[in-house]
Amino acid sequence: MRGIVESIGIITLLFLTACKKELTEVPGGNEYSFLVPSHFPEPYYQFENNEVSQEGFILGRKLFYDKRLSLDNTVSCASCHIREYAFSDPGKKVSTGVEGRVGVRNSPALFNLAWNPSFMWDGGINHIEIMPLAPVTDHNEMDMSMQDLMSKLDTLEEYSLLLQSAFGTREMNDQRFFYALTQFLTLLVSSESKYDRFLEGKVQLTDEELEGKHLFEQNCAVCHAGVLFTDYSYRNNGLLLDPEDNGRERISLNPEDRGKFKVPSLRNSVLTYPYMHDGRFETLEEVIDHYRFGINLTATTDPTLVNGIPLSEEEKAKLIIFLSTLTDAEFCYNPVFGNPFGE
Amino acid sequence: MKRVKYLYSILIVSLLVGFVSCKKDNPEPTPEPSATTGTVKVKLDHKWGMNWDAFAMNTAYTHPMSAEEITFTKLKYYISNVKLKKTDGTWWSQPESYFLVEVGENTVPELSISGVPVGTYTDIEYTIGVDSTRNVSGSQTGALSTSNGMFWSWNSGYIFIKAEGTSPDSPSGAFEYHIGGFKDENNTNAIRVNTQSFGGELAVTGSNNPMIHFYVNAARFWHGGILLANVNTVHMPGANAITLADNFREAFIVHHIH
Repeated sequence: MRGIVESIGIITLLFLTACKKELTEVPGGNEYSFLVPSHFPEPYYQFENNEVSQEGFILGRKLFYDKRLSLDNTVSCASCHIREYAFSDPGKKVSTGVEGRVGVRNSPALFNLAWNPSFMWDGGINHIEIMPLAPVTDHNEMDMSMQDLMSKLDTLEEYSLLLQSAFGTREMNDQRFFYALTQFLTLLVSSESKYDRFLEGKVQLTDEELEGKHLFEQNCAVCHAGVLFTDYSYRNNGLLLDPEDNGRERISLNPEDRGKFKVPSLRNSVLTYPYMHDGRFETLEEVIDHYRFGINLTATTDPTLVNGIPLSEEEKAKLIIFLSTLTDAEFCYNPVFGNPFGE
Repeated sequence: MKRVKYLYSILIVSLLVGFVSCKKDNPEPTPEPSATTGTVKVKLDHKWGMNWDAFAMNTAYTHPMSAEEITFTKLKYYISNVKLKKTDGTWWSQPESYFLVEVGENTVPELSISGVPVGTYTDIEYTIGVDSTRNVSGSQTGALSTSNGMFWSWNSGYIFIKAEGTSPDSPSGAFEYHIGGFKDENNTNAIRVNTQSFGGELAVTGSNNPMIHFYVNAARFWHGGILLANVNTVHMPGANAITLADNFREAFIVHHIH
């Protein structure tokens, strides 16, 4: 009898544990709270003063998709960050803002932002909450002053209702604007690719994928490190430099940072073409070929790349097959992240 | 009956008057005995040159040293982390102490330092700019809101000082000094802290109106090699911002207190 009771106890415990694990394993298990995937490290952003709520997320999502954030009501955040492409701007070297103006750098994909210690290709933005300030106020993007934007949003009844439910006040201010967008942006967690399922022991990788994984770990993982596929460092990866764009040096004012840009995550990289800070490479083949035999040596070229990355054509193909396992369709087609304006 | 009512009214009125006059008759200080803090006003009186000539926006002045001609169209800056030194040598720090000073039609902006403990003070310390912590802490409100246009979007950090205007001596015909930078690396820290003595004692009783009256010399940007002819646009942290921050901190003197 005692044995049976104990067994039941153990089974119950196991069941509870399993349930708990399931919750942390599925981001969006509760789709409006931030959960750290079980195989991810702790995030950089601490949600201090800005815990995610369903109402805040919904407000942030609406702002993200709202073209009225721009001077002439033509450009939203989503104009250059398209969900189905992991919130990148496919096919565009640089993106188009109001009145057809173009920027100078490639629109980055948006996911796993809570783990980013800095933002933009040169890391010039030091906090996720104020990241949207750049695209909103940049002359070539939305070209709005924060003051004008706040006044504009204050005239829109639909926002005062959302604000009331999210923050308990009908008045917009820049902090509520940034907090709501941060709630939406931090919930863009991409952790359900085939590779993630493999890590969780749920699926097997094919032989080719495994060979590609091995090649990746040998040749690429120094920079595209860990489960997030970036070490968030700034490196000169041997591109022929544009004298107009010194990369990280513009922020640090240190000549040793000339031509350095932030190492991007390679999750969803099949979808986030074109590549590099200026979108100069259209395909992953071109990117790998650059590392094979295109490295341009300058004083700041990363030491790990001085001799290039020797890979055969066959190995290149396997590497790309492995990178394909990092595509997260669940993320890209999650309706929770979709356009609330139904366009 | 009517008469009784009338008498009653007189009685009530007299009582009330008596009550009020009693209160008035109380010896000084008049306020409730519980007053433990007061408010210190800080007047920032903007002037031109060390002779403290009158200064106004949109008015052309000749620089006393360089003789360059200068017209201001904008002068905005942060004063933060105000501290006051007591006669016993201890310092009182104002919590959440951030002020955005904007010089406009009124060239004498006034800051209210509230919650100052009752006591006698001899010195003031304040930061021109914003401490490094608030430069890296995400979205802020009030004086530190990005809606004030004093935050760099592309290179996170507050613009501590904005001085803009026109000058025939500038190659571009204009000048725009956006001064900031909070990092120690590569010598880009433009946060400047001034400590100044009142040259007297400032009493905060909770009922008086103590005031610290500063003179601020708007001509002080052009000093130490900074001329409109060679530096007319500063839009990022760096060497010029450092020199301009060093220059402007010297613009402040405590003229008098009362």
